[in-house]
Order: sequence, then structure tokens, then C-alpha cells
Amino acid sequence: MATVSFQQASRIYPKADRPAVDALDLDIADGEFLVLVGPSGCGKSTSLRMLAGLEEVDSGSVLIGDRDVTDSPPKQRDIAMVFQNYALYPHMTVGENMGFALKLAGVKKTEIAGRVAEAAKILDLSDYLDRRPKALSGGQRQRVAMGRAIVRSPQVFLMDEPLSNLDAKLRVQTRTQISALQRRLGTTTVYVTHDQVEAMTMGDRVAVLKDGVLQQVDTPGALYDRPANVFVAGFIGSPAMNLVTGDAVDGGVRIAGAVLPVPRAQLTRAAASNGKVTVGFRPEALHLVGRGEGVPVEVNVVEQLGADAYLYTTLAGGDDDVMHTSDVVVRTEPRSAPAAGQQLWLDVREGDLHVFDAATQQRVS
Amino acid sequence: MTIASQSPREALLTAPAADTTPAPDRTPPPKRRTTLTRNRWGYAYVAPFFLVFGAFSLYPFLYTAWVSLHRTSLSDIDGGTWVGLENYRNLLQSEFFWNAARNTLTIGVLATVPQLCMALGLAHLLNYKLRGRTFFRTVMLMPYATSIAAATLVFAQLFGRDYGLINTLLEAVGLERIDWEAGTWSSQAAIALIVTWRWTGYNALIYLAAMQSIPGELYEAAEIDGASRWKQFLHVTIPSLRPTILFTVVVSTIGAVQLFGEPLLFAGNGTTSGGSSGQYQTLGLLMYQQGWSNFHIGQAATTAWAMFMIILVVVGLNAVIGRLRSRADR
Amino acid sequence: MATLALPGTETTAVTPVDRPERRGGKGSRSGKAGPVTYTLLTLTALVSIFPLYWTVVAGSHTNAELAGSPPPFLPSASLFDNFKLALEQAPIGKAILNSIIVAGSITVGTVLFCTLAGFAFAKLQFRGKGLLLALVIGTMMVPTQLSVIPLFMMIADLQWVNQLQAVILPTLVSAFGVFFMRQFLISALPNELLEAGRVDGASTFRIFWSIVVPVARPAMAVLAMLTFLTAWNEFFWPIIALTTANPTVQVALAGLGSGYVPQQSVIMAGTLLGTLPVLIVFTILGKQIVGGIMQGAVKG
Repeated sequence: MATVSFQQASRIYPKADRPAVDALDLDIADGEFLVLVGPSGCGKSTSLRMLAGLEEVDSGSVLIGDRDVTDSPPKQRDIAMVFQNYALYPHMTVGENMGFALKLAGVKKTEIAGRVAEAAKILDLSDYLDRRPKALSGGQRQRVAMGRAIVRSPQVFLMDEPLSNLDAKLRVQTRTQISALQRRLGTTTVYVTHDQVEAMTMGDRVAVLKDGVLQQVDTPGALYDRPANVFVAGFIGSPAMNLVTGDAVDGGVRIAGAVLPVPRAQLTRAAASNGKVTVGFRPEALHLVGRGEGVPVEVNVVEQLGADAYLYTTLAGGDDDVMHTSDVVVRTEPRSAPAAGQQLWLDVREGDLHVFDAATQQRVS
Repeated sequence: MTIASQSPREALLTAPAADTTPAPDRTPPPKRRTTLTRNRWGYAYVAPFFLVFGAFSLYPFLYTAWVSLHRTSLSDIDGGTWVGLENYRNLLQSEFFWNAARNTLTIGVLATVPQLCMALGLAHLLNYKLRGRTFFRTVMLMPYATSIAAATLVFAQLFGRDYGLINTLLEAVGLERIDWEAGTWSSQAAIALIVTWRWTGYNALIYLAAMQSIPGELYEAAEIDGASRWKQFLHVTIPSLRPTILFTVVVSTIGAVQLFGEPLLFAGNGTTSGGSSGQYQTLGLLMYQQGWSNFHIGQAATTAWAMFMIILVVVGLNAVIGRLRSRADR
Repeated sequence: MATLALPGTETTAVTPVDRPERRGGKGSRSGKAGPVTYTLLTLTALVSIFPLYWTVVAGSHTNAELAGSPPPFLPSASLFDNFKLALEQAPIGKAILNSIIVAGSITVGTVLFCTLAGFAFAKLQFRGKGLLLALVIGTMMVPTQLSVIPLFMMIADLQWVNQLQAVILPTLVSAFGVFFMRQFLISALPNELLEAGRVDGASTFRIFWSIVVPVARPAMAVLAMLTFLTAWNEFFWPIIALTTANPTVQVALAGLGSGYVPQQSVIMAGTLLGTLPVLIVFTILGKQIVGGIMQGAVKG
């Protein structure tokens, strides 16, 4: 087990106009479960592969423990990897798949058998050790891929979207199993996913990437409560945070004729560059107020989820020249949800307003 | 597995640091990344192939060009006098060359055109739901498994003047015996038939494979549009098969230009003249005759290059036609 | 269902058939074959087999019998006498042994070298790869005639005329084989499998042996069958490099056909002997060979 650290690590593909991973600085603690998340093409898989030694590091360095592994081949890094499509050797049985790395390392046959059996027991694969991958279900294959990793007791687990080939129900189940397994083994784990729900539910900390640049790394709760910029604010959470841009006026930001109050210090900093301010508020941070008291919206669609209801609304009375996304999602009580077509007035709960500089997109609050 | 690039590292270092904090003063040592060595493995894997290939294909190929510029005799293969393009001049003035070229063309057309048409029809038939599918396919490939020598000997027997089955049957129905080998057209048709017999099944399987990869929805769409079976064949099957057809045309043409074994063995006496008046002398056979009967290695090399040029022209024409047609489709 | 029985519906223009299930299926249009189809296919099958069958008939009858009216259509026991005569006239036994050695060596070499090179072209990155691959593909167009002269000089210098290595070595690799293996491995071997091997700590050679070869095995088998068949039937170069003193089957047959043999039956019996080994192999592996050719056609 070991710490992992990226120091100004960059990867530039030949002929690409920007780095796939741009000066990544990231320290992962011993035993930590760190999730790399972001939209496709954000560099999360590339970062993982740089750590694995499957991708070159063009500048900067990568450390596992105290060891600089920047230039080491994968086999010298003491890592194990779970691939998106599992990459099980089709001609080997489950047992052979799991024991292959140990065999290559020259471990004694009896010991290999013991360790494979142990891993198989943990993963509920004991009955399938003699089967070929072809004869397994998707979920079983996924577990074999996990087994192949844990048999080696490596310093670091690397997982590249290991759940994306499973159906939705199995994905949720396996999610918790992987988390539990990782806690039990206590092995440092770097996990890549494009699914922010997966990231939030599994990670001790989550690193959000976009266009090869690390946006923010923090615990799931902190990411949700204090997103560092507009991108993270919009990416984390489902339904996404409402983000609206308006003019800074005395005492707040003007949205659809109404003024959302923003503390003076924040307002000044946010509006410093061009007088515009982006504010964000989550669907659950909104509550209904009396006619004419808050931001006016018109309800387009009502989504009843049983426990909650979501109102998909549009800002009404757009008399000002705001450049905003005019859609606002509101969570309400399902029993008393308004109907489509109704006009409502909304206010943001105290302390739940996120304020961003509209020009730099950075958080100011 | 990895893509080689050293330049981005330099590029990054020289690029002005934009808004981020300047990169730490970690001057990278000028060593090669170990992962870069992986590139060299590629050469290791292709090396055995290219060693054999270079020694026995590439080098001879180029050396043939060298030989063709010399007057070289088989009895003195390492000697030879430089004659420049004289061999080529002689070749172009040689009636033997033009005769062989003509014969190669006519036999080639006779052997290729009907063969590919039949193969296409056959593939169409094989594409139906059939009982004994494997049987039919396998049987039709048997001629392909038969060697040129064996096939030619059998067909020479069948086409024999005195004891051949075909003449016996002709006589039985009241027609005259034909001296197949002596006539120009008859001998060329017979040789074309041998080629056709050996390759039709093979090409039918190639077409069949291509037909089976045409998505069924295309036919369903055509059927909904009211296209008959025949129209579907013309407007769905044939266009989808066009690359395959072009491919088989090229391969068959290359084979036809090199035609050698059939005309050599057809007469049954092993002469290299291609019949008493050269009526089925081909370029491949002429080249062999020049080199190994007349011992004019330089001449033979010239003929070999001429054959290659013909192939290049044919392949080039095919490529042009293919490109024009696919452009016309757009 | 009623429309099905109409002869000729398969190939000629008829009204659209109103049964959607006749189409589609596994992406292929497979209407059921009618009697016309079966008749045509059976005729083709007969034409395909008849010359081979005729070898047996002609190999067991004298010239006079063959020219008789009606001609014989059944083999007779004198086939075995003619086998004996053919074996006396031409060294067919030795030729078969030689052909097995030659075709066997060529097959082993071709499959090995082409798998190595095909893998490199499919999955490894190295400078000049595109150029080298173009070179390989380009040479598929070069006629054999272009290389035999220097080859002949080479083996003459090496004193290899009439030696088996003279026909083995030059044919030890095939451009087609490289291309075939490359096309197969590009789609059959996911990059992740190689990366998994690297993460598991396998050396480059180990990855080839333990991961690439097992995955490539079906294509290697197909290539082996096609290569053996081609090598067994190879004619042009062996006839230059070898003589009837140490022939392959094809050289022996050519000698038999061009020598002075009064009875056709002996030539036919010899031809049969020389062809029998491939036909036996073909009967056993025919299905696989057919599959291999069709598979190669789609990938190519």
C-alpha cells in the first residue's frame, strides 16, 4: 500500500493541439479511494494510464510511495488494473486469468492456487474457476477482472470505468461491493468514471477534470457544497445545479426582474471583470414564495418521482438583457406540486446561493 | 502499444507558461523514456519476415531489372555484357512477344470474364437457404485444391484428339472430332476452361462471403420500395459487391498475365513453344522459353518486366475506374 | 408458402414476395432455394467433380478402351496395375515425400513469420510501419516471373539446384499471410488485452506467446491450411529449381506428362496418386478451408 502523487504530470499526444493531461498535480493518500471524474475527453483515463505506465509522461512525474515511477514499465510499478471491457484472456480459465500475474512473477504454484482460491471466495467465484470467460455472465466477468487485481495484493488498484458494461441494476449493486471490498483491503485505489453519481457514492475524494485540467479535488460533500467553479457546479449533482447569469445591481444580482441578494464583498469581486455575475442554486435550495416576492418562473413540466417532484420551469418576465440559461429546475413536495403552465415565484434558501465571477467562472463566495 | 514522440516534451518546456505557476525547475535528463524502446520491438517482430522477403523477393525483383539491361546467358549467369535498353527494343520488335501478348490477352479474357460472371451467379445460388450447404461449397472448392499440373493433365486427356472423352462424345452425337490442341481458338478456349474450372468455385465463395455481409435491412428496404428480386440483385447486391468484384478482377488479371503451367503441359510433350505455331504461347511461357530453353536470361528478365508493367497498367486502370465510379455515386 | 414452389422465382423477376421472414435473419438475405437452384448447383457440383472422377476412370482403361463407343464410365481394377506402372515411370513416391517436407516446412515458416509480422503491423507502433506495410501489400502484385531469374542464379551459386531448400526458402514467407494475420488481429485482439498483459508483468515476448498466439490461433489454422495447399500445388518455381531426379509432386507430374508415355492411363494414374493426398486432406478439412477462404474474403 502506498501513496500516489502526480507532480505537474502532462501528456501531449503527437499532433494534438492541447495536452490530454495538463500539468496534473494530485496527491492521493495511502489507502484512499480516489475517483477521477469528468466528461469524455477530459483526460481522466489518460491520467490513470499514465499512472499505470501504459501512457508516456511527457513532462512532470508520477510517484508511487516514495518511488519515482515516471519512466518505469508497468510491471515495475506494483499496480493492478481493472479495464472497462475487463480484458480477460479468452483462452485462459478464470483461475488462470487470476493467477497469470503471479505465475509471471515466479510465485510457487501452490501459493498461486491458495491466493486465487482466497480471492475467488471473496468474490463468490469459487465455482467458476475452471470456466472460460466466454461462459460467464457480464457481472461474473467483472468480478474476475476484480479478482485478477486483488490476487496480486498490489500497492495500488487502478480501475478504468469498470462498471460501464453492466446493466443499471447490477451497476448499483457492484458499486457498493467494490466500495466495501476496497475498505476491507485498504488498498489505495484510483477509479475512473464519467458518471458523477458513481464518483460521489464511491470516492473518499473526487477529482474533477475538464479538458485535461484538474478543476477541483475534494470530498464528495465539499464538492457538492462548495464547487470551485461553474463547471464543477454544473457537473456534480443530479438534476444539475441551476446556473444563471445576471447583472450586478445594488444589493445583489438581477434575475428576471427580481434581485437575488448577494453579500457586498462577494458581489464586488464577482462583478469585477464585466459587471456580470453567475449565480448557482440547487433544485432543493429553492422554495416557493408569494406572488411578486422572488424570481418569477413558469412551469413547463412536472416530474413526479414519488419521494420528490421536480418542476422544470423557465424564467418569466425576461425584461432585462441577461445572458442566462433560462431553465430552472425546482424540487418540491410531491403532494402539493403546482401544475404545468402555472406561474410561480422562487427564492433561494439562506446560504445556499453559489456566486461565481461570470468572466473567470471561478467561485467567489 | 505506445506512440513515439519526444518532441512534445521539448515543445511544452519551451512554450510560455500561461496562467499556471511556472513548472518546477526540474530540468529533464536527456535520457530516452524506457517506454520508447518498446518501438524497437516492432522491428524485431517484422525482422524475420523482411529478412526472407528481402533476400528472396525484393532483391531478386530489383536484380531482375539489372539483368534485363544485360546480355546474359544461362550458361554464364554471372557474366553478361551491358546492353542498355537493347533487350527492351528487341522485345518490342519481336513477333514472339506480340504473339504471346495477344494470346495472353485472349486467353485471359476467355478465362476471366465468364468465370467471374459464373462465380457471381453461383454465389447468388449458394446464398439461398440450402440443404447440404457445406457439401455444395466444399465440392465447388475441390478444383481449387487440385494442382495446375494435375488439372491440366486431366483436361489434356479430356481434350485429346484420339482418345479424349470430349471427341468421343462429339463423334457419338454425329459431330466431327476436333483437334483441340492444334487450333488457335480451340486450344485457347480449352486452356481458358481449365482456368475457369479451377477458380470459379473459389471466386464464388469470395462473392458469397461478401453477399452475406450485406445487411438484410437493405433488401427489406428495397422490397418495401417494390423492387423485384432481379432488381434487388442489380441495385443492392451488385453495388454492395463492387469492391469485391474489383478485387477479384485484379487478382484474376494478375493470375492471367502469369499463366504458365496450363499452356506448358497442355500439349503433353513439355515443349515451351506453346503449340506448333505458338498458338497458345503466353507471356509466362515465353519468358520460361527464353530463359530455360534458349538460355537468354537477359531476354527473359525483360519479358518478366514487361509482364509486371502490364499488371501495373491493369491494376492502375482498375483503381481509376473504382475511384471514378465511387465518385459518381456520391 | 404457395409461391415457394414456383420454379424460377429465385432468379427471375417476379412479383415481390409477401413474406418478410424470408429476408433478414442474421443479416443475410436467405430465401429458401427452389428446385431450379438445386438443379443448377448439382450440375455445378458434377462439373467440379467430374474431371477428378475421370482421372480414376481414365487411369484404369487403355487408350483403345477410352476411345471406344460408348466410352467407359466406371473405373476398373487395372487402376492398381497402372499405379504400379506410374510409380515405375516417375518417382511419385519420393515426390510425395518431398512435397510433404516442402509444404510442411513452408507452412510452419509462413505461419510463424506472418503471425509475428502481422501482429507488429496490427498492434505495435514503429517508425516506417506504413511504408513497410505498403511494401508488403505492393508485392502481392509482383509476378513470380520477376524474381525467378536472380533466384535461380542464387541457388546455382549455392549449389542448391535440385535441393529441397531451394524451393522451401524463397517461399517461406507470404505477403498475403502477413496481411491476413494483420487484418485478423486488428479486430480480434483488443489493445486492452495487451495492456493487461503488460500490467500483469509479461515481457514483450511473453505477451506474444501467451496472449497473441492463443488469440490468433483460428486465423493461424486457416493460414496453415491455405499455405499448405498453395505450397503443395506450387508449380512455376519448383519446375525451375528442381528436376525429376528430386521432384515435388508437381514436378513429377509435369515430367510424367511431358515424357513419352504410350498409355494415357499411366499418366492419369500418376496424376491421381499425386493429387490424392491433398484431396484426402481437403475432404477432412474442407469445411474449415471453405470457412477460412470466406473469412479471409470479408476481412481482406
